[in-house]
Amino acid sequence: MNKDDNISEEQLNAFVDGELESEERSCLFSEAERSPELNQRLCQQRNLKELVQHAYEDVPEPKRPLSGRRTRTSIIGMALAASLLLVVGVTAGLFMHGYLDRAPLPGGYAAANNPQAVAAMENYILHVISGEPEQMKLALQKAEELLATAKPGKPRKVEVVANEQGLDLLRSDVTPFTAEISALARENVIFYACSKAIMRLEEKGIEVQLVPEAIAGFTALDRVVIRMKDGWQYIKI
Amino acid sequence: MAYKKLLRISQRRAFRQLVTNNRQRLYRMAYAWTNDPHLADDLVQQTLLKALSNQKQLRDFAAAQGWLFRILANCLTDYRRAKREVLSADNLEVVDKVTPEHQFKDAQLVRKVRRAVQKLSINHRQVITLVDLEEFSYASVAQILEIPVGTVMSRLCRGRRALREHLLEMKPRESLRPVTNIKRT
Repeated sequence: MNKDDNISEEQLNAFVDGELESEERSCLFSEAERSPELNQRLCQQRNLKELVQHAYEDVPEPKRPLSGRRTRTSIIGMALAASLLLVVGVTAGLFMHGYLDRAPLPGGYAAANNPQAVAAMENYILHVISGEPEQMKLALQKAEELLATAKPGKPRKVEVVANEQGLDLLRSDVTPFTAEISALARENVIFYACSKAIMRLEEKGIEVQLVPEAIAGFTALDRVVIRMKDGWQYIKI
Repeated sequence: MAYKKLLRISQRRAFRQLVTNNRQRLYRMAYAWTNDPHLADDLVQQTLLKALSNQKQLRDFAAAQGWLFRILANCLTDYRRAKREVLSADNLEVVDKVTPEHQFKDAQLVRKVRRAVQKLSINHRQVITLVDLEEFSYASVAQILEIPVGTVMSRLCRGRRALREHLLEMKPRESLRPVTNIKRT
């Protein structure tokens, strides 16, 4: 029997994956120098690994809604996008709440040493993913409860973001809660419909009509990340 | 009291940065597992939301990366369980028609390898891609997939053997041209 027949595939894998101890690795090197067959087996194993790496060096990105678009260099891209969206989102949010004349605008997202950041922890973003009426009702009750339990003189901000099946909450032709949504919107609760969830339904040929209180244009994830960066509390329902 | 709140805010920010920084890597892995850009993006979105909402569960920041990939693997398992969907190579051609890789001369090879990877069982596919693409150690892969290290090694072995066979079935000479020698570094 040839000596390299004793070398298992597991050992070859461990070799190309850098999992062998130094001594065992040296032995295999020496053996490969003596045996062209073993050398070829090692080369094939490494080649296979490199082929897999090469095949996924550049993967196609999904089609994304405008606000959720990201570049391949997502670290910088996400940071810039998040900052931009934050400024736009917070400005829009404050404007819609009529807070511009009552509170100073945060410059970018809240800093840890900024008292506003501490205050932001009193704010909540509720994430609704379920299309079950009980869960939707629970989300609306939670929003109402959060408003009711705010400290006196410190109005609490609450946003509801819906995606996946939870989008039904904000679809005017589906939701059983139009009156409740309307009432909460009057209390300055903001409702966001995930733009990606909308796009998904539209791709299936479903026309999405939202209740007038709902705002589209953000993906659920972007909205949640923005608000959490701002120090808000996150509740998934 | 205020100091503790500030510390919590600071920790949360560090965590969110970590999550954000790993997004593209998670996406590449999800794509390698599913071969579907939309599904991959959804899985990553679920993963990040779960990570953000469960960040208190993470005790050791050094293990954060493996933790994120474990959540991703769990999201895929949940998806497959819910949909009872077999992720096959059947729709690979359709997906690949819209990929930018067609612009490059090696697009054919890339397509072939991806098709071969998609032919593998999900268990083999996950182990191979975690080891090859992210270069996780066998021990880390074992933690991510919550399986013993020995299972990682045997899945890797069988998976690579199957992968090689799939590639040989397609076009042996072009797909498996050996390199000249092993790097000694």
